[in-house]
Amino acid sequence: MRRASLAAAGLLAPASSLLAAGPLAAADYRIEIAEIDWEIAPKKKIRTTAYDGQIPGRLLRLAEGKPVTIEIVNRTDHAEIVHWHGQWILVEADGSMEEGSPMIPAGASAQVTFTPRPSGLHWYHTHAMGSRGFKHGLYTGQFGMMLVDPAANPARYDQEYFLALHDWEPYSSPSDDGSLMVHYVSSTINGRQLGHDEPIQVREGQQVLFHILNASATEPHWLTLPGHKFQVLALDGRPVATQASVETLRLGPAERLTALIAMTTPGVWILGEPRPSFRNAGMGIVLEYAGRATKPQPQQQANLAWDYRAFGDPVPAIYKPDVIIPLAFTSRFKGHGAPDQWMINGMSFPETDPIILHQGLRHRLLFQNHSSDDHPVHLHRHSFELTSICGSQLSGVHKDVVVEANTTVEADLLATNPGNTLFHCHQQDHMDAGFMALFRYA
Amino acid sequence: MLGTALTAAHAQGNYEIQVYGVDTVAPRNTMLELHSNFTADGQPRTISGVAPTNHAEHETIEITQGINSWSEVGFYIFTLVQGGQGVQWVGDHIRPRVRVPEKWRWPVGVSLSTEVGYQRTIASPDTWTWELRPILDKQTGRWYFAVNPALERTWHGPDVNQGLGFAPAAKISYDFSKKITAGLEYYADYGSITNVASLHNQQQQLFPAIDLNVSPDWEINFGVGIGPTAATDHWLVKVILGRRFNWSKKHQ
Repeated sequence: MRRASLAAAGLLAPASSLLAAGPLAAADYRIEIAEIDWEIAPKKKIRTTAYDGQIPGRLLRLAEGKPVTIEIVNRTDHAEIVHWHGQWILVEADGSMEEGSPMIPAGASAQVTFTPRPSGLHWYHTHAMGSRGFKHGLYTGQFGMMLVDPAANPARYDQEYFLALHDWEPYSSPSDDGSLMVHYVSSTINGRQLGHDEPIQVREGQQVLFHILNASATEPHWLTLPGHKFQVLALDGRPVATQASVETLRLGPAERLTALIAMTTPGVWILGEPRPSFRNAGMGIVLEYAGRATKPQPQQQANLAWDYRAFGDPVPAIYKPDVIIPLAFTSRFKGHGAPDQWMINGMSFPETDPIILHQGLRHRLLFQNHSSDDHPVHLHRHSFELTSICGSQLSGVHKDVVVEANTTVEADLLATNPGNTLFHCHQQDHMDAGFMALFRYA
Repeated sequence: MLGTALTAAHAQGNYEIQVYGVDTVAPRNTMLELHSNFTADGQPRTISGVAPTNHAEHETIEITQGINSWSEVGFYIFTLVQGGQGVQWVGDHIRPRVRVPEKWRWPVGVSLSTEVGYQRTIASPDTWTWELRPILDKQTGRWYFAVNPALERTWHGPDVNQGLGFAPAAKISYDFSKKITAGLEYYADYGSITNVASLHNQQQQLFPAIDLNVSPDWEINFGVGIGPTAATDHWLVKVILGRRFNWSKKHQ
C-alpha cells in the first residue's frame, strides 16, 4: 500500500470531526486550504495551493502549554492533512495519515486541538504525498510558521523577522550520480523573489532576531549576509548549548533556525543564498540600513561548511543508552529516468516492520546513511538529542538532523509520548519513494 | 554527426558514429572524446580517388565546450589509419548546438545541432558539407529513446546538385543497472529527400551497443555495427571514450 492509498483505506476524517466528540468549540484560528495564483515577482505568477491565500501561511503565535483549537477548511478537490511539525502532541492531532491521523476530505472542514509544546520556532505544513507532476505535498505553498512563545525570550532584540525559504516550478532531471533528481526554476523568501519584497529595514547598532524556516520540498539552502555574522540561538526551535557565531547558515529541508544579527556594517546587503544558481532564481531578500538607499553590495563567495558540533556542549555529556536501534538508509536504482526507491533497514514504507520503543527508556538511534544523498530525517511528536557525528561525540543539540552522504549520526530518543510515531526523510521525493518507518510503543 | 558517418556512396565515413542525446555540456565544462572506429568488413577498392574503407581505422578527436545551460560548440579532428601509411589528417568540422532549456519542463527533450566542415578527397569526393540535426529524446524509467532525423547538404563536390539528403539515426536502450545500459543504435542514409535511393544503394546500419556509466566524468560507449545493404560497410566496431573537465570553482 503506497502513501496515496492511505486515504482510500479509511483514514479520511468525517467532516468536522477530527477531535471533537460533541459540538465544536470556537476555534482560536482558522486555516483555509485553497488554490491561488501567487505573484512571486511582477508578472510572474505561480498556480499553487496555499493557506489563507498567502505564502507563507499566516504566522501562528501560540503560548506554550495553553491549548489551542484550529479549524481547517479544505477548499481543494482532494483530501488534505496539516502536520504540526516539531510539536509533542497526540497522534490524532499530529497530522500524519501514516500514524493514523485522519485526512480532511475535499470540501470538508475539521478541528484540531492541541497543547503547544515545546516552545520555539516550529511550522505547520501539508503531509500529503507529492505525487508525480509535483502538484501536491510540499511542492505547493502549503506551509506556515508557528512560534510557540516561551516563558522567557532567548535574547534581547530590537526587532524580529520571520523568513520562509521555498523553491518553485519543480522538474526532474538526472543528477551526477545517475538518478533522477528534483530541480527548480525559481526560489523565494516569504513568497517573493529577490528584489520583489519589501526590504528588511534596520538601524546601525540594532540587534535583529531572525526566525528562519527552510520549507523547500527537497533543497537544502545556505544563507549569508555579507559583513555580518549570525549568532545562532536555537535550532529547530530548541535552544543550543553554545550560541556560536557563523558567517553562513545551512538549513536542510524542514530545518528551522533562530539567529541574532548585530547590525554593525551600514549599507544595503542581500540576505540570501550564496550559490549563484539559487540567488539568481530569487532566493534572497534585501536588507537596508536606515538612510542607505543604494544598490545592494554584490554577494561574496561563501564557505558552505556546516557542523552541528559548533552548537553543542563544550565538553560533550556521555549517555548510556538502554536500547540501540540501527537505521540503515539505502536506495535501489529504478532507471536513469525514475527516482530511486528508498529503504530503511532494507524495507520501503509501507512494506516495513514497526520499530518498537519502550516507554521511559533512552533509545540510541544509529542513522547509517549508505547512500550518496544527504537525508534530513525527522521524527514526529518527539525530538532527539544528537550524540555523535561521524564518531565525534556531541551533546546539547536537540533537533532533527541532516545525515550527510555516507556518514553515520547517532541520536538519543527518550520515549515519553506513546502512540504511533512516524520517522522519515523530509525530502518529499524520498518520503514518497519509501523513506519512512513507523515507531510503535511496546 | 551521422552525415560524416555514413555519407554519400563511395565516401569514407565512420568518423563519428553516435546518436545524439539532448543534453549539452554544462557551462565551464569541456568534454574531450576519442571516437575509434574500425571497419572489419568494408569497401575493398579505391573508387574515384577515395581510399577503401575495408580495415580502415578512423580516429576522431571531438572537443565540446559548454557555453551556457542550453548551448555548446563542438570541434572535430578526423584522422585515418590505413595500409601502413600512418595517421592521415582527413578534415575538421565545427558543430554549434542549442537545446530547449530543462527549465521549460517540456515532456520530451528537444535540441538542434548544425555542423559544417571540410574533409579531404581521400575520404570523400564532397569536401565541404553541412548538416542540420534535430534531436529528440526521452528517458522514462529504465528506457531511453532518441531520434536524430538529420538533413545533409553538400556545398562543394559531386553531390552539390543533389539537394538535401536524409540521414536519420535512432537509439533505444535499457538501464540494466546504474552503470550498465545496453540497446540498439540505428544509422541510415536514404540519399536525396527528393530522389530517395533504392534499398540496394541506401546505407543502413544497426549497432548493438553498450554504455558504461562508471562516473559522471566519463563517457564509454561500445558497439558492433552490421550493414546489410551493398552500399554499407558490413562489419564495424566502434568505441567512444570521453572525459569531462569541469573548470568551475568548487563549492561556489
